[in-house]
Amino acid sequence: MFTEAYMQRALLTALLLAPLCGLLGVFVTARRMAFFSDTISHAALAGIAVGFWLGFTDPTLPMIAVSLGVAMFMLWLREKTDLLNDTIMALLLSGSVAFGIVVLSLLKGYRGELHRYLFGDILSVGPQEVAIAVVVTAIVGTVVFARLNALALLTAHEDLAHVSGISVRGLNYAFVLVLTVVVALSIRLLGIILVTSLLVIPPATARNLANNLRQQLILAIIVGALGGAGGVALSFQFDLPCGPSIVLTCLGLFLITLVGSALRKSRRRNLSPI
Amino acid sequence: MAEIHFHPRGLAIEVRGLRVTLGDTAVLRGVDFHVPKGQIVALIGPNGSGKTTLLRCLLGLQRPDAGQVRLLGEEVGPAVLKRIGYVPQRLPFDRSFILSVREFLSLRLRETRGWFWQRHRSTDAHLRAALAEVGVDHLFDRPIAGLSGGQLQRVLIAFSLLGKPELLLLDEPTAGVDTPGEQDFYGLITEVHRRHKLTVVLVSHDLSMVYRHAARVYALNGIICCEGTPEEVMNADSLKQAYGIHVTPYHHEHGPGHHHVH
Repeated sequence: MFTEAYMQRALLTALLLAPLCGLLGVFVTARRMAFFSDTISHAALAGIAVGFWLGFTDPTLPMIAVSLGVAMFMLWLREKTDLLNDTIMALLLSGSVAFGIVVLSLLKGYRGELHRYLFGDILSVGPQEVAIAVVVTAIVGTVVFARLNALALLTAHEDLAHVSGISVRGLNYAFVLVLTVVVALSIRLLGIILVTSLLVIPPATARNLANNLRQQLILAIIVGALGGAGGVALSFQFDLPCGPSIVLTCLGLFLITLVGSALRKSRRRNLSPI
Repeated sequence: MAEIHFHPRGLAIEVRGLRVTLGDTAVLRGVDFHVPKGQIVALIGPNGSGKTTLLRCLLGLQRPDAGQVRLLGEEVGPAVLKRIGYVPQRLPFDRSFILSVREFLSLRLRETRGWFWQRHRSTDAHLRAALAEVGVDHLFDRPIAGLSGGQLQRVLIAFSLLGKPELLLLDEPTAGVDTPGEQDFYGLITEVHRRHKLTVVLVSHDLSMVYRHAARVYALNGIICCEGTPEEVMNADSLKQAYGIHVTPYHHEHGPGHHHVH
């Protein structure tokens, strides 16, 4: 099935980025940053538009740059203004999308590109994307595991992390930086609209089975890998868009584990003495 | 409770002329107070009195506009924060995060920081002992997000004690704990105070709850408007300054000594 080079590239990229999203997603969901990452991914649309406008053939770099800019602007607004978090994110999300679509409409001949970036396109995964995915996964994976304790404590309580000697502000910015790069890269596979689901569904699936954080992290990585690979396979087999295939595969795993954990709980309840 | 004084020399907390303005509001308007080492004291004030801001200044989370804060004789900074235990009210993370009590405690100690990769029996015994000291060793493998308010508070105290603090700061320690739980809590704090010979600061809006257990009370309302023994502070005139309303001592059915602000 995966005989063609482009198929192998897509599969490899999915096997790298989807588990990475699962790992980061455990902290994203616990810190209620799903909407934040959704804003980052939609900001990428503005980045894509700016990239084409400036004449980039591959908009990866402007995509990451604009997403990062929007992410940092969000953090700045959060610190410096009294605006509610949700308000800030909704403003920047809708603003980025509107800006991106207007610019793409003005640039003749790029409307077709829009679909690829909204829903993901495995055909767009070139050797360069694979190389970037390998490097980013290696670096981000190493950094996250090296700073796992600080990240866990930061997630549990920021002030407690501060008192325990962790540089809270630095770690928060570093986390947003890492998240932005991973989200922007994953847009190739998942598309702007669906990329956040890869940060949310694997950790939620893992939560159905896990009893502690260690298990949740390991399972989120495994679910990400299964969902990513399964989705890419489905996409090839039935000629489906890649992003929705990955999301549906992950959702299937979520539902199976949900039923499994419900059954396990009810069995435990029946066994316990009244 | 019996007053116990350790290390009568030296100050646990030394605050001079502390001023903080947030937006247009002068939240702290020249706060001055000293907490001697070795006592259980209470810092009380109604909502909006600047308790939280003062606590944030003590923990180095809020930069004052003017004034000085010294903890255990040092300027607030990473070095002195290592000697401090902080017990927040609650943990704000989502229930989807299933950090277990054991994992949470592991984050406090250098030797247990490899919790993800390895599990040492010796460090497990250490962590269990820390939980046993606050009476909740049965919670060892439970996810933190599923604990009751009282259980979580004990786990947070165990977490702090692992760092061998000389000063323990508790933020609203009995919010979310019922009355019998409150009695247990004070028993626990008294015991911890005796065994670890540390200074304990209870930060609370509720005078009645700290009344019987603090050796000294500091009433905050933008400034420290009165301080002294609980009996002295309960004097209606000075409390009226703190709370801005009339206060009468009120005797509870479950025993004398509980005073409520009405």
